[in-house]
Amino acid sequence: MQKDTMNESESLKLITEMIGKAKSSYHSSGTGAIMWGIVIFFCSIFDFLEMQFHFYIGFDIWWLMWVALIPQLVMVFKNSKNKKFVSYEETTMSYVWSAFGASILMLMFFNGYYRPSHSESLFLMLFGLPTFITGGMFRFKPMIVGGMICWVLFAVSLYTELKINLLLMALAALSAWLIPGIILRKKCKTEAQQ
Amino acid sequence: MEFKELDPILHSQLRLAVVSLLISVREAEFTFLKEKTNSTAGNLSVQINKLKDAGYLDVTKQFNNNYPQTICKITKKGIEAFEEYVKALQSYMNPNGSE
Repeated sequence: MQKDTMNESESLKLITEMIGKAKSSYHSSGTGAIMWGIVIFFCSIFDFLEMQFHFYIGFDIWWLMWVALIPQLVMVFKNSKNKKFVSYEETTMSYVWSAFGASILMLMFFNGYYRPSHSESLFLMLFGLPTFITGGMFRFKPMIVGGMICWVLFAVSLYTELKINLLLMALAALSAWLIPGIILRKKCKTEAQQ
Repeated sequence: MEFKELDPILHSQLRLAVVSLLISVREAEFTFLKEKTNSTAGNLSVQINKLKDAGYLDVTKQFNNNYPQTICKITKKGIEAFEEYVKALQSYMNPNGSE
């Protein structure tokens, strides 16, 4: 790229090409979505089984969420070290997901303190929010649909008991994160091979 | 019919490519710009310095895992210059268009 003189159409073509190159450089591997999908799916199903078969393992299975934070933080740190650029979309997304994380944390404390009924419904509503925004931002349909499924499950959960709501949470984790995460991962691998 | 003058700092292939890349991201490393523009390190370095001297780019040098790293970011002045440049281009491409 040495040429110093260009005509107007060449300039516009170059601008379009470079903007396109920058936009297509950002790919999510889907690892975070897969991990959180598995954790929430597992915790919900386990909690359901505890209620259904009347057993208790001695600690709240949802504490696994805190354990899952460790690999998540390691991933974020590793990615930021190896990153060659920071996109605007990525920055926006990190704020959206941080706000989601903080809201979940506050809701967990709120639940622990007041023990309100049907609090799982609020979790389902919150699950849909960042998922829908992320899907819309990256025009990734599986996440848009996943976010919408969470909201449908929220509506359903208002009329069902806690045990069933745990199954709905597992379904939400599957449709909002696990399945879209697997699709993202496949897409990322295919693009890396090309 | 009046044509706007094209900014000579931006009206160079490599410099325009760098600014177009940086307008789309918050910040980028030197190696990212080199890879996307298919340019040589020497030439890219010279052009980045010209953009920096014009006040269009912020350039930060730092170390990452003991390796030197150059981070480039477009400035407010750079964004304005780019917008003006695109407007000027449009006036050439569409001379009958209203402003």
